[in-house]
Amino acid sequence: MFTLKKWNAVAMWSWDVECDTCAICRVQVMDACLRCQGENKQDDCVVIWGECNHSFHNCCMSLWVKQNNRCPLCQQEWSTQAKGVNFTRLLISEGRWAGEQEV
Amino acid sequence: MAALLKDKGTVTFEEKWPAMRPTVLKLLRQECVTRAEWQDLFWAVHKVCLWDEKGPPKVQKALQDDILDFITHAQARVLDQHEDQALLKAYISEWRKFFQQCNYLPLPFNQLESALAGKTTTSVSKKVHNDDSIVRKLMLDSWNASIFSNIKQRLQDSAMKLVHAERNGEAFDSQLVIGVRESYVNLCSNSVDKLQIYRDNFEKAYIEATKAFYRVKAPQYLEANGVQNYMKYAELKLREEEQRGEKYLESFSGSLQNLNECCVEVLVTTFRDTILAECPTMIKNNETDKLQLMFKLMDRVPEGIQPMLDALEEHIVSAGLADMVAAADTITQDSEQYVEKLLDLFQRFSKLVTEAFNEDPRFLTARDKAYKQVVNDTQVFKLELPSKTKGIGTKTQPESKCPELLANYCDMLLRKTPLSKKLTADEIESKLKDVLLVLKYVSNKDVFMRYHKAHLTRRLVLDTSADSEKEENMVEWLREVGMPADYVNKLARMFQDIKVSEDLNQQFKESIRTTTKSSVADNLNIKILNAGAWARGSDRVVVSLPMELEDFIPEVEDFYRKKHSGRKLQWHHHMSNGTITFANNMGRFDLDVTTFQMAVMFAWNQRTHDKISFDNLRLATELPDPELRRTLWSLVAFPKMKRQVLSMSGEVTSPKEFTENTLFWVNQEFAPIKNGKPQKRGKVNLIGRLQLSTEKSKEEDNEGIVQLRILRTQEAIVKILKMRKKISNAQLQTELVEMLKNMFLPSKKLIKEQLEWLIEHKYMKRDDENINIFIYLA
Repeated sequence: MFTLKKWNAVAMWSWDVECDTCAICRVQVMDACLRCQGENKQDDCVVIWGECNHSFHNCCMSLWVKQNNRCPLCQQEWSTQAKGVNFTRLLISEGRWAGEQEV
Repeated sequence: MAALLKDKGTVTFEEKWPAMRPTVLKLLRQECVTRAEWQDLFWAVHKVCLWDEKGPPKVQKALQDDILDFITHAQARVLDQHEDQALLKAYISEWRKFFQQCNYLPLPFNQLESALAGKTTTSVSKKVHNDDSIVRKLMLDSWNASIFSNIKQRLQDSAMKLVHAERNGEAFDSQLVIGVRESYVNLCSNSVDKLQIYRDNFEKAYIEATKAFYRVKAPQYLEANGVQNYMKYAELKLREEEQRGEKYLESFSGSLQNLNECCVEVLVTTFRDTILAECPTMIKNNETDKLQLMFKLMDRVPEGIQPMLDALEEHIVSAGLADMVAAADTITQDSEQYVEKLLDLFQRFSKLVTEAFNEDPRFLTARDKAYKQVVNDTQVFKLELPSKTKGIGTKTQPESKCPELLANYCDMLLRKTPLSKKLTADEIESKLKDVLLVLKYVSNKDVFMRYHKAHLTRRLVLDTSADSEKEENMVEWLREVGMPADYVNKLARMFQDIKVSEDLNQQFKESIRTTTKSSVADNLNIKILNAGAWARGSDRVVVSLPMELEDFIPEVEDFYRKKHSGRKLQWHHHMSNGTITFANNMGRFDLDVTTFQMAVMFAWNQRTHDKISFDNLRLATELPDPELRRTLWSLVAFPKMKRQVLSMSGEVTSPKEFTENTLFWVNQEFAPIKNGKPQKRGKVNLIGRLQLSTEKSKEEDNEGIVQLRILRTQEAIVKILKMRKKISNAQLQTELVEMLKNMFLPSKKLIKEQLEWLIEHKYMKRDDENINIFIYLA
């Protein structure tokens, strides 16, 4: 009686992190860090995970390790486990970004 | 040479003067002097000064006597005239003659000048400037002392009588007055202030006379002709007097300015209050010409403009609000009418300011101030923000619903609606710009932002934008009018996400093309959005999806995880939607539905003709109670639909009245009705306004506005203190309002509470000596 014709599913992605807030800049990791917000570089602000499973803004952490190569939360030696990828950038770099050409 | 030597010792004043005197007298009388006589005079003066030790003072004395004698005669000739014009004429002619001679007579006596100055060499005489010449000074001072001081009163009086006559419209030879003035100007031998005699006498008399004239005339005119005509009169007279002043007064002397001040004083300032009393009525009646005139007059008067500004403000506020109240019934229901009413008011007031006040910045400011009050007024309708927030007990004041309605109006223009279809692209653009114009006056822009974003979310999720280019333009326009960057950036990011999702869909479909699920996948469209930019609450609603869809969820998640490590997905099914085909006794129909509606309807797929209770539907769909109620309500009582998709037992007036046992069944007679006839085919949209949050989080939504304001205020206070270290309460308030104005207008109370909170939490403290000074604590 009722048959499906079309479905538009909506999902939200967020970084798979233990804590929503970057302990270095105190901004939510889903938002760009303050520096990137100010410089309007939101797209480049990704998340970085350490082996300790703690996560921060990549830009915040790269500044942090220059002074102190330990995780600010657990004081373990910092080593990067993974880094978030910006999808838009990825598409642009692969030449598959259609956004700008669309009229 | 021999003759010269022989003369030595014998040249005396007494000997030479008799020969010199006739030439001097001729010069005074402007009679013909031969070249020989002229040169002899030089020679004689030279000799007397050179040989007679006592000569120079004697020459001076003799000269003075002759000058005085000449002046006495001239005075007699002038005073013979009794009639004013003749007197002036005679005086001017005597004066001109005399003044001309002031340039000639001193020349032969150059030698005398240096002799009197105690110098013997003639070479320096060249340096003596004509104007500083002793003889010239002697001549002018003599004239001044005798004739002028005797008859200056009469001269002045006569001249002023002529000016008076001219003011009354009689013509006369203006040269007479001008001549007198020139004599005043030239007469002065004081080289430091050449205009002294002119200023002390002529200018003073002229201004006095002007004042006296209008002191009598102006009140008479006002009495006889009323304020409005009087303004024309005053304006005319001010201009006339300015022109007359240019004619009769010395330019570059400051006289014109003095005259102007006097005229303004006597013509305008005296009647300021009387004139201003007419202002409110004129504004009310939109009498722009008269206001223009009043503006011109009052702009010359100290504190003349302020009352006009007040009147304008009062008019805008009262007329604006009266209009809104009068149209309250329609505009509270209809965003379009409301916004158009506001714009109409704005244009009306702006036109008034343009036509009556030449867009003078002071009047523009008054317009802005008053218009702001109209826009933010809460009389017609208000937005109720919650009175209590978590943690900090806050009672908020009611706020204008304006920002919400502006956002609704924007939505109507940007979405595919009857309104946006009716308008051309240019018309839509100009209307959007209008919205931004009004938005400038809205105090609480954060409310607008919230609603605007919600509408945009719906348009993007449901793909109902009328024009995607316009959508993105709008984002840039919002940036241009100063909306906070983090807000605008999120909007921009939303567009980006939609584009990224399109790409992602392609890839996903390609990836499962080879599998068995590909046929279903063609009907699937996934939007994976950035939670930071889109999400509102973090609420998650459970719903049991139709099997074929449920199967896809892990597929998509796997696919996405491979693409993007470190990201997790959360399904927002309350925003998901789709199209289903409904086949019944009447025909086949396409229904646009929300995922919740879909879940409810699919419950009947296994038991087409059953009646299912509310309770069983809950078990089947797993929807939380409030969501299930709302969804069922939309299926049994969708607004403006004659035949509903579901039927139910009993009658209810709201979703709250459904009980556990209320029964629902599919309406096999469902069909869209067109022109009174049921149709066999058709597409029906049952989505209505897409739900962006759950019932529970909707209440939190408005609290969110308040909560965010608290945070923003704290943040701004700390920012300011960090910069200033030490700041007075008053200045802090000003800077706060400035900093937050693009989001909301912080109330005094809100500021005070946040200050207390920050002090309590040791972010800052009050100065020990002055409690109105705050100090930042790092």
